[in-house]
Amino acid sequence: MNIQTDIKGIVRGGETLKQHRDKIMEATKRSGHYAGLRHMELRDEHPIKYNKLFSRLRAGVVDARETAKKIAASPIVEQEGELCFTLYNAAGDSILTSTGIIIHVGTMGAAIKYMIENGWETNPGVKDRDIFCNNDSLIGNVHPCDIHTIVPIFHEGELIGWVGGVTHVIDTGAVGPGSMTTGQVQRFGDGYSVTCRKIGENDTLFRDWLHESQRAVRTTRYWMLDERTRVAGCHMIRKLVEEVIADEGIDAYWQFAYEAVEHGRLGLQNRIKAMTIPGTYRQVGFVDVPYSHDDVRVPSDFAKVDTIMHTPSEMTIRKDGTWRLDFEGSSRWGWHTYNAHSVSFTSGIWVMMTQTLIPSEMINDGAAYGTEFRLPKGTWMNPDDRRVAFAYSWHFLVSSWTALWRGLSRSYFGRGYLEEVNAGNANTSNWLQGGGFNQYDEIHAVNSFECAANGVGASAVRDGISHAAAIWNPEGDMGDMEIWELAEPLVYLGRQIKASSGGAGKYRGGCGFESLRMVWNAKDWTMFFMGNGHISSDWGLMGGYPAASGYRFAAHDTGLKEKIARGEPIPWGGDTDPENPVWDGMLEGARIKRDKQAITTEEMFADYDLYLNYMRGGPGFGDPLDRKPEAVAADVNGGYLLARFADSVYGVVLAEGERGRVVADLAATEARRAEIRQERLAQSVPTRDWMAGERDKILAKDAGTHVQQMYAASFKLGPKFERDFRAFWDLPDSWQLKEADLPIPSYGKDYSMDLSELPDVTIVKLVEE
Amino acid sequence: MTQTARNARSVQVLGIDAGGTMTDTFFVDADGDFVVGKAQTTPANEAQGLLESSREGLEHWGLTLEDALRNIQTGVYSGTAMLNRVVQRKGLRVGLIVNAGMEDFHRMGRAIQAYLGFAYEDRIHINTHYYDDPLVPRDLTRGVAERIDMMGTVVIPLNEDTARTAARELIAEDVEGIVISLLHSYKNPTHERRVRDIVEDEVKASGKPIPVFASTDYYPVRKETHRTNTTVLEAYAAEPSRQTLHGISGAFKDHGSKFDFRVMATHGGTISWKAKELARTIVSGPIGGVIGAKYLGEKLGYRNIACSDIGGTSFDVALITQGELTIRNDPDMARLVLSLPLVAMDSVGAGAGSFVRLDPYTKAIKLGPDSAGYRVGVCWAESGIDTVSISDCHVVLGYLNPDNFLGGQVKLDRQRAWDAIKVQVADPLGMSVEDAAAGVIELLDAELRDYMRSMISGKGYSPGSFTCFSYGGAGPVHTYGYTEGLGFEDVIVPAWAAGFSAFGCAAADFEYRYDKSLDINIDTDAHEADKASQAEVLQAAWDELTERVLEEFERNGYAADKVELQPGFRMQYRGQLNDLEIESPIASAGGADDWDRLVSAFNDTYGRVYAASARSPELGYSVTGAIMRGTVPIPKPKIPEEPLHDATPPREARTGTRQFYRKGRWVEAQLYRMETLLPGNQIVGPAIIESDATTFVVPDGFETWLDEHRLFHLKEL
Repeated sequence: MNIQTDIKGIVRGGETLKQHRDKIMEATKRSGHYAGLRHMELRDEHPIKYNKLFSRLRAGVVDARETAKKIAASPIVEQEGELCFTLYNAAGDSILTSTGIIIHVGTMGAAIKYMIENGWETNPGVKDRDIFCNNDSLIGNVHPCDIHTIVPIFHEGELIGWVGGVTHVIDTGAVGPGSMTTGQVQRFGDGYSVTCRKIGENDTLFRDWLHESQRAVRTTRYWMLDERTRVAGCHMIRKLVEEVIADEGIDAYWQFAYEAVEHGRLGLQNRIKAMTIPGTYRQVGFVDVPYSHDDVRVPSDFAKVDTIMHTPSEMTIRKDGTWRLDFEGSSRWGWHTYNAHSVSFTSGIWVMMTQTLIPSEMINDGAAYGTEFRLPKGTWMNPDDRRVAFAYSWHFLVSSWTALWRGLSRSYFGRGYLEEVNAGNANTSNWLQGGGFNQYDEIHAVNSFECAANGVGASAVRDGISHAAAIWNPEGDMGDMEIWELAEPLVYLGRQIKASSGGAGKYRGGCGFESLRMVWNAKDWTMFFMGNGHISSDWGLMGGYPAASGYRFAAHDTGLKEKIARGEPIPWGGDTDPENPVWDGMLEGARIKRDKQAITTEEMFADYDLYLNYMRGGPGFGDPLDRKPEAVAADVNGGYLLARFADSVYGVVLAEGERGRVVADLAATEARRAEIRQERLAQSVPTRDWMAGERDKILAKDAGTHVQQMYAASFKLGPKFERDFRAFWDLPDSWQLKEADLPIPSYGKDYSMDLSELPDVTIVKLVEE
Repeated sequence: MTQTARNARSVQVLGIDAGGTMTDTFFVDADGDFVVGKAQTTPANEAQGLLESSREGLEHWGLTLEDALRNIQTGVYSGTAMLNRVVQRKGLRVGLIVNAGMEDFHRMGRAIQAYLGFAYEDRIHINTHYYDDPLVPRDLTRGVAERIDMMGTVVIPLNEDTARTAARELIAEDVEGIVISLLHSYKNPTHERRVRDIVEDEVKASGKPIPVFASTDYYPVRKETHRTNTTVLEAYAAEPSRQTLHGISGAFKDHGSKFDFRVMATHGGTISWKAKELARTIVSGPIGGVIGAKYLGEKLGYRNIACSDIGGTSFDVALITQGELTIRNDPDMARLVLSLPLVAMDSVGAGAGSFVRLDPYTKAIKLGPDSAGYRVGVCWAESGIDTVSISDCHVVLGYLNPDNFLGGQVKLDRQRAWDAIKVQVADPLGMSVEDAAAGVIELLDAELRDYMRSMISGKGYSPGSFTCFSYGGAGPVHTYGYTEGLGFEDVIVPAWAAGFSAFGCAAADFEYRYDKSLDINIDTDAHEADKASQAEVLQAAWDELTERVLEEFERNGYAADKVELQPGFRMQYRGQLNDLEIESPIASAGGADDWDRLVSAFNDTYGRVYAASARSPELGYSVTGAIMRGTVPIPKPKIPEEPLHDATPPREARTGTRQFYRKGRWVEAQLYRMETLLPGNQIVGPAIIESDATTFVVPDGFETWLDEHRLFHLKEL
């Protein structure tokens, strides 16, 4: 760099933060290697020292997370492990991370980079023992409930790096209670928003911050202890770095802080080379936003529409192990809380990759530098308007990424890595949320995290594991019921594996589970539902079925108080077969909500009302007709499959066995399967004929308004997507699909204003647009 | 350890550590002399290996089994038999009664059980996660209709018919035990106890001898998965283990013993094999060493001890602070979350047998987590192993004598190890074989050292105030490596390092410990009267637990006045989910002053364990549990006390020299025979002190001194 300057910066060696980052970025771009590191001197010349540094820092970061989480009061942090600590170099690129919600490796890095690019160094200043807080989704955070604490690390008066800690808090003072609320349609309703604010000096939090922040949220106690958790963890890691430098020298540490990133980049490249096949992979994801329903109460009538979110993706893997992910054709951002920043979208993809492609110790920003992303500006994952809401960006993140998992799995399958194949991830829902006054007579918000334990997609050699994981945190857990009952004024009447929630297949998807909760000891109470309902957002692979979609069950005015007093039967356990419900018959006179409307806004609940929290399953792999009949019988006996689907989906004929169990009748099954195969042949038509029929429908615009709106929006933002679509279906120029022609409002279609248009704001662009 | 036979020797104490592969016995005589016996473990009939190991040990004293057993007053057993029974799912056929509607929760487990014990890489790698089979299958689980809330209030009354039906169905299934665990029974046990009584009635009526276990009678603590797993273990594995222990006791009695065996328990004391709660003996071997260190500390004045034990597969670290063990209340074992008080011990999957690999994609050096175990490594031609292990590096670098491994029972081939290291590690890293092997050792040492450091600093201490005890078969090989530069006050290697766990068993207290969940909430600035009334609630819990402790001792013939009681409690800031265990500074609680003393003991500990900034007194306090420990005096091994000799070791202790590689060069290390060294002897590295069961490495830059208690002190020069 040839910048002549008299300003003495705070970074080690005298550069300013901005100069330092510019230099790193320029060298990276010029050489194709992170920070221009064509040769990794420390790693190659002193591998033992390099490995020692790595193992000590990594162990320390992991240990800090384990220790600090015990300070928290929130079960989300303490039981579910929704926290993460990451160590960064001076340029804000991550060196290594703990386990937990590792999507934030990227989002906290984006916050640091935002501070670097926007002159935080001079105002408000970055000093040793400062504490910063951020949760701004417009600069990269996933959603406002993930609160970042960021602490700079100095050595002999010079900045040598940063440490970031994040927890998922239970409430951020949004329009409705809970961390991932649905009622607001703009970010002003998302709740408390903090942009890289300096909240403390000399390791002490400012009093104005403490007073303001605690009254900005509903659940003050959780908020406060979560913050102490993050600060304590950051300080533990800062101390660790100081000790490492004392032992190994600042030069070695400094070298490590950059080589590790390049090492991570090469690690990803080598993994891609080893596990995939070069080529172009295309896939697509959808999810429903059913907002016209009466139970979705939003402040703006332009938001009261049913829409579908759409993300086609194209993954290009090159022979040298580099790759590019292009999301042309994705939907525009919308008037709901399911929008995402490009950083959370890309950082999250990479979290998903760590679960299959790069489950290595070397998880850092190297993988981000090893991946090219193209996210068209204006899409839901790269919005061009500063009003968009983000509270539950996961709604579509999880549904659009499952497509990538399928794409990669086809590649693993081709290379013979059958164990690594994963048919996709579950839609991580339902989210039980709500609030009011709790059993301790305090203002409260609840946000159950039982859906950290969904079903997992099947591999090509075995069934997906049941009630076990979430794509955003592979170390999933459903937690103990007794702990949830401490946190929520809701008693359990059931916790049961959800039969048939996993997708069918030669190897079936893991099943989710369901919890039946009865409101108890709550006052002025509300709850709502959040999940997919009309659309199965995962797909299944190579003949495997998608997981079951969502639905809701709630009951008011249940009369349970009287029934309990009289000792009459009441609902227990699971809503085993929703198409043949048992509970509804026990609740005569009750107002029952049982439908596919799996997204609602705050609804009043009183003691003895019921709420079913249903956690989704994962998709299946391979044709169900190829599943071993004995395995199907075992699924029925084990409560993983409703008996009626043994025949219709698997072609397995069941017979009565001993002690009320079923067994597969092998001969009858063979015959039944032959019959199903014949039926399939009989129903099939040549592709050409089928396409002709579909083309006619397209020409006639024979589709729901929400489907037309989805394509119209994708065409507008993705000209190439539209060209491909037209070519594939051979559509005449006269065929036009425009949002303006549809009978629903489309605010935001033509007018938007980006954050970058605010005065004095430099945004950090990390993807191609 | 003197080897001279004395006919009049009176053997007093026997400690047993029955490991997965080897059974160690440790005998102590009236003068405090001791001897270690070793034999292979015999899983089919454990008594056989125990007797064999005893014979082997007593031979060193020239005693027969019968001669020795006659006088022994105390025998303590620790072993992995129960753990293996659980891991291999070879327990009894148990029935489980839970809340109606929640019959799935036991088999669902907690998702954390799908990756417990995994390395970082596998924890994040979803396709590697899996559940073990539940201890109780779903079809032996029944539900009873009732609900009690978290405050102990009845939400739905117990439907007794459902309990009776559940009992009858399970009895008809011929289960061998019935466990009952209902939500929040730790808070209000009435429903659970009523179900228990109904089940017992039904069992009685059936005429079948089926034991019944209610969780509230065993582990009345919050978190139903932990509590249920632990109570199920009582039914599933403890009863068979009781039979095993009964058998062992009988086998020794057949050879003339008069004592009743006690068993090392997870809380760090020993309990009778007749004790009600036997599940807490599920893991005991590694705890023995910690108890041994605590005992030596008490006798010799070490208050803060870092205990470190390296075996073939793992490195275990535990801390003793101010003479007290740290207890963890919801540990996991065998991939199950449990609610047992367990001596806090952290393990890392790196030991002498750990495999060494390079990540094919990143070239990072990875140690473990799997290991060659008893098969040593590539250096043992018959092992069938072709992946380099840490032991291979030891052999190449001269740490180990290839001709005297396990006293020469196994011959190791240095060239095989050299070739394997060259191909698998050295060449890909572009290093010489010696440097690669030394690098691996350095990396292991650094990992263990970092681990040790984080264990100590993570608890708010610094190594400077700790004495490090190093033991286990492979411990003394690495003592210098993992203590170097940490600045311990002292580093000690007992001459009987290989039998140290068995020694610890022999030294353990006869101690019962009971815990009870409480829910006392109080503001920081509460009225005096409130504080006093809460202190009384705590006292009532202590009284209840005291009764249970005394009852157990009574069963073993100890009157209440012989029992020394120590109360404790668990406290947290209100609303938190994790508490800290605090030893009570007061023997009984009554007034507001007493309450304040409990609070200040908690605040002190909290600030140290986490950070002063994490203290949150403004939230108020919750006492979440009461603890009562009771001990009675029992005979223990005497610590040897021998006269001091010259600094120079006797000529016969010097057994030759060996080439030894460290820090980039070969040096000539002096070899010594451990048993022949005399108290007072001083040895400057490079030196290697060998016995059949262990090797103590003293590299250049270190020296060691053998004290009058046969403890080696290792010092950096």
